[in-house]
Amino acid sequence: MKTFFSRVLFAMPIIFMVGFFALPLALTYVWSVFERTMFWMKPALTLFSYENFFNSARVENFLASMGHSSISVLIAFVIGFPVAVFVRRRIPQVAQHRVILLFILPFAVSEIIRIFALRPFLQRNGLVNGVLLKMGVITEPITAILFTPTGVIIGEVMSFLPFIVFSGFLAMEAIPKYVFEICEDLGAGPISIFVDIILPLAAPGIFAGSLFIFVNGLGIALLPNILGGPGAVNAGLIATQAISARDFPLAMAVSAIMMTTLLSFLYLGHRLFNLTRILTPIS
Amino acid sequence: MEDDYSSIWSYRLKWLYTLLVVVTLMLPVFYVMYISFNENGFGARDYEFTLEWYGLIFSDLLMLDALRDTLFLSFLTTIIVLPMGIISAKLYKTTSHPMVVVSLMLSPLFVPSDILGSALLVFFKNLNIAFNALGKLIGVSWFDTWFDLGYMSAIIGLIIYTLPYVFIVILITMGRYREQQTEAARSCGATAWQAFKDIEFPQIRTGVFSSCAFAVILTFNEYTRTSLLKGGFDTFSTVLVSQMLNEGMSEQSYAMSSLVSYIAIIVIGTIILFTLVRRERLERELKAKAEPIMAR
Repeated sequence: MKTFFSRVLFAMPIIFMVGFFALPLALTYVWSVFERTMFWMKPALTLFSYENFFNSARVENFLASMGHSSISVLIAFVIGFPVAVFVRRRIPQVAQHRVILLFILPFAVSEIIRIFALRPFLQRNGLVNGVLLKMGVITEPITAILFTPTGVIIGEVMSFLPFIVFSGFLAMEAIPKYVFEICEDLGAGPISIFVDIILPLAAPGIFAGSLFIFVNGLGIALLPNILGGPGAVNAGLIATQAISARDFPLAMAVSAIMMTTLLSFLYLGHRLFNLTRILTPIS
Repeated sequence: MEDDYSSIWSYRLKWLYTLLVVVTLMLPVFYVMYISFNENGFGARDYEFTLEWYGLIFSDLLMLDALRDTLFLSFLTTIIVLPMGIISAKLYKTTSHPMVVVSLMLSPLFVPSDILGSALLVFFKNLNIAFNALGKLIGVSWFDTWFDLGYMSAIIGLIIYTLPYVFIVILITMGRYREQQTEAARSCGATAWQAFKDIEFPQIRTGVFSSCAFAVILTFNEYTRTSLLKGGFDTFSTVLVSQMLNEGMSEQSYAMSSLVSYIAIIVIGTIILFTLVRRERLERELKAKAEPIMAR
């Protein structure tokens, strides 16, 4: 028996998310074809903002930041996923979540502080250079890290690595443990277990974690703003720069392009791996 | 054949690697904390311990104002987002279209902050224009300022940011709850609210508390959405970022960063420990109940 009141109550979060999340994002497509005025925009049907995006250095920057993001995804996967596999396979069931919880600790610290902290860390007279100099590995401080795309990639890996651990672990939880026992009994080596069992079965989780890192690497302006130099500009930075220049249609066009990128990847991932499988452990 | 016990050293090595990854992620933050106690600041040859920089934070009036505003914002966001998280988790368990609910609730995770922030900024500006025009048309002015950029818009942005985390944490704790218990309570004559308050809530309390702490910490630390949607006031993060971008890292900003990091680490650390201890106790109790009395 459901009363009208309880129906409304339960619909509230959905209404809120549709009204203040889905609707504004969908409307970016509409606003992106508006015409720019001095301080605001007016209804029109023009592709000027898209032209502005595709006929300038912006599109090169966007594609370059896609490349940097992909490298970060790869590095984060190589470093982070083995942790998820190790925790799932070798640590007793009861202790698994505790180890994974350790990776929440970096999130307690503000993103801006974690990103800013990389500056004194990687700087010319910073910690990394200091330690390397003292150990005698290098004779001159490395200056090519900060304010280059390399700095941005390091920042992305440091900020988003836990996500590949979380989603990788969630995906590994969906694989019953006996699968590994059977494989080992049948004499499969570690490489063939990884390639033939873990990769296909954990694919949805790996994909979700990678997409998260990829999209955030493209969209978080703070990373290139603080760690990157002139060569590292991503979509988020283009959008916020357009906002501060009061070119709202351009900002909306960038958002629309980002949304299109995201949705096509999600669609592709869903077709390939059936992303609903990620949720099996919690439902 | 490799198993848990055949090679204890490879097991230890893997443990070491896992811990190394966590420590590496935290290392820059620890380094900032280390610098913040140095009398001479970053890069100085001599290290002299001091608390001077921490004292400076509390004499900065702008900072204190921002701190108050941030706490207010976190508090409001949390008390709105918690019921929303609980309701949407309940909805997920009872609806016939769980996939719709879950994808709507989790998709904000995949939309980068700057993109969502700019979309919401333009959305609010448009709403404002529309409502002002409407007000002029029918001759009332009381909803002229509804969608001005300010606390309201910032809180909406923050709710969208924190809801996925709150939703997923509550959903995971709800996984152990059986809907039949509610049914039993209802058929014994309890109202839906009583059934929730007395039967379900005590069992999901840990999840609610931890998501509460998450919401407070996430909103306290959030920068991008707030800075785009805040309108006039300042928050801790916006003051910190403008200070860092304008003057570079000053000794005071090292101290400020460290101070909030201590608080956040202590809060999250306590929750992790508390959750673990509680779960351990529950498991012990369950085991004790499962064992027959004679076996003890």
